Amino acid sequence: MVAETTLRIVSWPQTIMEFDRLIEATQDELVHFASYRLGNREDAEDVVQDVYVQAFRDREKRRDITNVRPYLFRMTGNRCTDLLRARSSHPSLQTSGEEAMEVAGGDDPFDSLAAAQRIAGLRSLLDRIPAREAEVIRLRAWSELTFREVAIAVKSSVPTVKSRFRYGVDRLRKLLSLQGGPIQ
Amino acid sequence: MTCQDAREGFIDIPKEESSRGVSEVLRHLESCAECRLYFSALQDVLQAVTPPHRIAASSQFRERVMKRIVEEDSRQTARARSYWGRTKWITAGCAAALLLFLIPVLHIGGKGTSSPAATLFAQSEDAMSKVQSVDITGRIRTLPGDNFELIGANYDFVPIEIWRDYSTPPRWRVEKPGRVVVMDGKSATMYISATNQVVSGPPKAGFIEWLRPLLDPQSILQNELADKSALSAQVTESNGVTTAAIHRKAQGDFTHDWARNKNIQGSDHTCTYRFDSVSKRLEGLQVNITVDGREITVAEFTGIRYNETLPPTLFSLQLPKNVIAYVAPADMKPAAVTLDGPRDAAAYFFDSIAHERWDDLLAVMPVSSVPDSFKKRYGGLQVLSLGEPFQSGLYRGFFVPYQIRLPNGSTKTHNLAVRNDNPAHRWMFDGGF
Repeated sequence: MVAETTLRIVSWPQTIMEFDRLIEATQDELVHFASYRLGNREDAEDVVQDVYVQAFRDREKRRDITNVRPYLFRMTGNRCTDLLRARSSHPSLQTSGEEAMEVAGGDDPFDSLAAAQRIAGLRSLLDRIPAREAEVIRLRAWSELTFREVAIAVKSSVPTVKSRFRYGVDRLRKLLSLQGGPIQ
Repeated sequence: MTCQDAREGFIDIPKEESSRGVSEVLRHLESCAECRLYFSALQDVLQAVTPPHRIAASSQFRERVMKRIVEEDSRQTARARSYWGRTKWITAGCAAALLLFLIPVLHIGGKGTSSPAATLFAQSEDAMSKVQSVDITGRIRTLPGDNFELIGANYDFVPIEIWRDYSTPPRWRVEKPGRVVVMDGKSATMYISATNQVVSGPPKAGFIEWLRPLLDPQSILQNELADKSALSAQVTESNGVTTAAIHRKAQGDFTHDWARNKNIQGSDHTCTYRFDSVSKRLEGLQVNITVDGREITVAEFTGIRYNETLPPTLFSLQLPKNVIAYVAPADMKPAAVTLDGPRDAAAYFFDSIAHERWDDLLAVMPVSSVPDSFKKRYGGLQVLSLGEPFQSGLYRGFFVPYQIRLPNGSTKTHNLAVRNDNPAHRWMFDGGF
């Protein structure tokens, strides 16, 4: 595609073609984020699709927003949280082991199993620290958002998200240490 | 820098949001073993919670989302039209209402403009004269990346957008997934992403074909009525919206019907324009074709926004450095043998690919180089049959039936389009592959 499509999306798209370019530029990182959040790509794509449609629906009122990326992560994170809540109250919506393997990918079943176990491990690790700290770590470590973008995504200030990140990492360090992990 | 300062600064590594701070932290790390250990532990934690693989969206995801967005756009436009239609009807006043009530249906012979409808169209043109820009969104049943002219009753809808800036000189842009044309005031440039190919030409180069009238919405109806090929036009008014439907038969020779219903001109079709009865501005266009007695909508433009501020970047293209350029027929390298007609041209085309003689291929393929993706996909193909050339519709070139076996083992049966109606009379590949 034309080089301009790979440029950072700096303002909220207003037309269908601008949305096409936005989707091309951001779909992989949003699906990646949601896949690890939810444990499978199928649900992740449903969530991210809803996010884009909502973004299109709200384009008029969001016209003045100048950094779209963190808002998309915020919308994706919120929808993932809603779905996870629904899953916890409706066991039929739980992710199966097979689906977790799908996220892990890879053709070698052993590799997939190992990867699936690792994914389950990292998700449960993050579930054991306060949600606000976990979300900052996810946005930073999974999606490589800058702290400024993370602050926008979680509706907070840069110093606050940095604090949450530090506290969260400290908690994880202690948890891993208790588990006999590599952290001393 | 203290150890406390350094540990607070660790989290900025490696993002380097503050390069000065990061460099100080790194200097501190070099001289402090305890902080090095702490930093290593922090990296281990982040490693432990970082996903092992990157997950990408599936190949159909973008298309799926765009389909939903186009549907959403249609719904929004329909809602807005319904609301504004009611509002404007009220504000237009009783006199206008009475007038419109008295002329609910105006029939026009395709060849005449001296009817009341002509007055209506003149008003429309007058209303449009103050327009500074137009942004039109719509959808067409076509293939992403293929030419703008192609339609197909069985294709899915693909979004399309047209921007027109009435500055001096005028500029415009037409885009659908995989293909974009920009006219910057001096020349038109088309970029095709799938083949990384660029074609440049004069402002009126035939890149957008039948969509061109939409670049001048103020002239659409006058041009439509002046067009002798219109069988009939019917103008109606209802709920503040004036609708003009123009019917045409397919144009061209369809002794061989290959090209029938593959573009608007080659189809029995109806263009239905919607105008706001008060402002007289174009509000929408729907194009239906008739296939086996069934009316099928193949194009609709539902979102038309006037006088939006269009950013200058819309009218320029930043092209990749390794782009493949179009080569004018006169500048194509000579063929190794004399090509005496469309069948010879098609045979030469396939033979070059079958034997992976890519330089030879450039004698009939008007590009600066053959894309690697093309070589990989088609190199070494086998020609199973080559039929007799024929013409169809308005296409001035020829179609040559072929059946080939691709390197992946699949077979393909289609018609190759070749033509030599260029000033140099060079035979060249034009599509159908």
